[in-house]
Amino acid sequence: MNASTMARAAGAALFVAAALAAQTPPSDEFLQLEPVLQQALRKAGPFVVTVETYGGTRQAQGSEGAADGEGPPKPRQMPKWEPKPRQEDPDDADKKKNEKKKPLVASGFAQAQGKTSGVVLTADGWVLVSRFALALEPTTVLITVPGRGTFHAVRGGEDTSRGIALVKIDAQDLPVPDFVHPDQVHVGQWAFALGRTFAADEPTVHLGIVSAKKRLFGRALQIDAYTSPANYGGAVVDVQGRVLGIAVPLSPSGRNAGVEWYDSGIGFAVTIADIQPLLARMQQGEVLQRGWLGVQLATAWLGPGAKIDGTPKDGVAAKAGLRKGDVIQQVDGVEVMNGPHFQMLLSSRLGGDPITLTVRQKDGDVLTVGPLTLADAPWSEQKQSKDAELPASFPLPKEPEGR
Amino acid sequence: MRSFSMVLLGLAALRAQTEDFGKAYSFAERKPGTKVEQTIDTLLPSIVKIHGASGLKTISAYATGILVSNKGHVLTVDQILLQPDRTRVVLYDGSVHQAKLLPADDRLGVRLIQIDPDAVRCELRPLWPAPDTTFRTGQFVVSLGNCFRLAEFSEKVSATFGVVVGRANTALRYRMTDVKYDGDIILTDACNNPGHYGGGLFSLDGRWLGLNMRLLDSKETNTMLSAAIPVADLLPYLDEVVNGKPRPVAAAAAEPAWLGAVLFDKAGRQSPPAYVERVVPGSPAAQLGLRNDDLIVRLGEFSTRTCREFAEILGKFAPGQTVTVTWKRGTQVMTGDVTFGKAPTEAGK
Repeated sequence: MNASTMARAAGAALFVAAALAAQTPPSDEFLQLEPVLQQALRKAGPFVVTVETYGGTRQAQGSEGAADGEGPPKPRQMPKWEPKPRQEDPDDADKKKNEKKKPLVASGFAQAQGKTSGVVLTADGWVLVSRFALALEPTTVLITVPGRGTFHAVRGGEDTSRGIALVKIDAQDLPVPDFVHPDQVHVGQWAFALGRTFAADEPTVHLGIVSAKKRLFGRALQIDAYTSPANYGGAVVDVQGRVLGIAVPLSPSGRNAGVEWYDSGIGFAVTIADIQPLLARMQQGEVLQRGWLGVQLATAWLGPGAKIDGTPKDGVAAKAGLRKGDVIQQVDGVEVMNGPHFQMLLSSRLGGDPITLTVRQKDGDVLTVGPLTLADAPWSEQKQSKDAELPASFPLPKEPEGR
Repeated sequence: MRSFSMVLLGLAALRAQTEDFGKAYSFAERKPGTKVEQTIDTLLPSIVKIHGASGLKTISAYATGILVSNKGHVLTVDQILLQPDRTRVVLYDGSVHQAKLLPADDRLGVRLIQIDPDAVRCELRPLWPAPDTTFRTGQFVVSLGNCFRLAEFSEKVSATFGVVVGRANTALRYRMTDVKYDGDIILTDACNNPGHYGGGLFSLDGRWLGLNMRLLDSKETNTMLSAAIPVADLLPYLDEVVNGKPRPVAAAAAEPAWLGAVLFDKAGRQSPPAYVERVVPGSPAAQLGLRNDDLIVRLGEFSTRTCREFAEILGKFAPGQTVTVTWKRGTQVMTGDVTFGKAPTEAGK
């Protein structure tokens, strides 16, 4: 068999394969999906509301921005104008591709005071919104429920670790969504991100799927539908119009980032069905924050257990007598494999949560410490602290500060 | 042996590709596919590539157009690359034609250009808006355009898929830079990259829904958005230029509307919320029952977040027009209809 006959045979094989593929009846999956999406929209539309804010302080939100709540806002520094090097061929598509992809939202993202979205939580007027909507500390928050009018909203509690907040409006018999428990969500299922921003009469919709579950330490679903300031606070729904989660700008580092990720195919939807007790606390006006133990881990220690490299003076761990060189072996009875495992176990907790540790001290004694009560994280989710980057090491503020 | 035959298989595939490459487009090569594939295939010959003048980094020298008549009319977004003598249209068969510029529509920000139909050797396949131009949120769409000039000669332009995200108004609800068009737009998540604009947005059954606009820079959300002008709005312009049907002339701008509420507007970089400081007696605001310390939050359906926005939005209305005003007094949100008056003259004050 020489090369040319083989090529011919291969060509024939290709032809047969192509012919077979052509014979199978083509399916129009898009045409089948469209009415499903429409039905989900009709079901979910009524409980997606518009959030408008008035007053407050405009300031930059990005890494160059002033931290939230730290005195008066500093004037925003405008970037210096510099002549750009002349590009030789502006039409060169390859060159464009090779250019570093710039985020559509620049760093130092100045939050515009546009409308955002919210989702009705209870029939008697509790509404879930994104903390993004309240980041400017507005003096007035108005909620518009489709077909029901505009209401003045009073701020309730917040969960800074999830980027959500509750507001209360004086209304009854509001349409309430079904919230899907994250255990019943599957990676790859359709997820439509709804908002109600651009027009009052109909919601906006972005199409996507669930990319991952239990992101941000068990707090959120990752989706690939576009999430942006236009639909933050809006509902991410399944094909039946049930709420999988609330779209929020968050990132694993704990910073209130994610805005610059909006067209990247990475979005987060905080799950609601699994946090009923927290919602009840937020209705009481509590501000929930990430829990803080106050240990720095030895990154060189590969396990078993997590080795402590330092304990800031005011931290919960220091006060409980933990010291550099101690190895945390168990968290609430769960065997700790290594440092990252310990971080996973800890990062899902909030300030005020109890924690019991089993610790092997330097001299070999094994102690049970606790139950300890975790403190509120001294960094706020809004404060853009570089120290908050996870999971390289635990944040260790130079000047421990309370909230 | 096995790997060797795999290489040959690859070579055979490559050979088939090179034979196909550079061939002029023909309808004979169409293969059966799904309805959506057939829709795209049917539409593609009506989408043309436009090349024009450039010279600046931020302005691309290419765009897309839609053939709308047998007389060689091509509709596209009006932009700087459209210069007399430097505008060329590439048809689906790969032929290049010099195009003549026709009058643009400044309100829509679109322009028709025309090629000589007698110089065309292939069959022209014009598109025209169907009687049903409606679209709805969540509707699936296909967007066709020559993004980043990826298609050359007879290559087909790119098809991107998405949904109608929603409807937005460019006038006020939705502040954007560099938008000439003043009206309702179709937002979509089928991406409008440079070069894609001037192309079309279509339903999956091939209805023409809109003309792709440039990427919009939303002041409201500080994000970029892909949008299209609904064809229903394009029709009067198309009818006028292509078919010679005259359009009704828009009424001349009237005097600005007057409400008679003096706002607490202090000077500064940030305009404050639209709190009422004083109500002029006998004014429409007084008849409405506005009081000082009320916060005006909406005129009609437009939010008035600051005093500056309030002034801007009021300027869009004319005396005699009636709108619903929404304001907040304490924790009450109140609404009422008001008919705008004319501002009293200086002498009358």
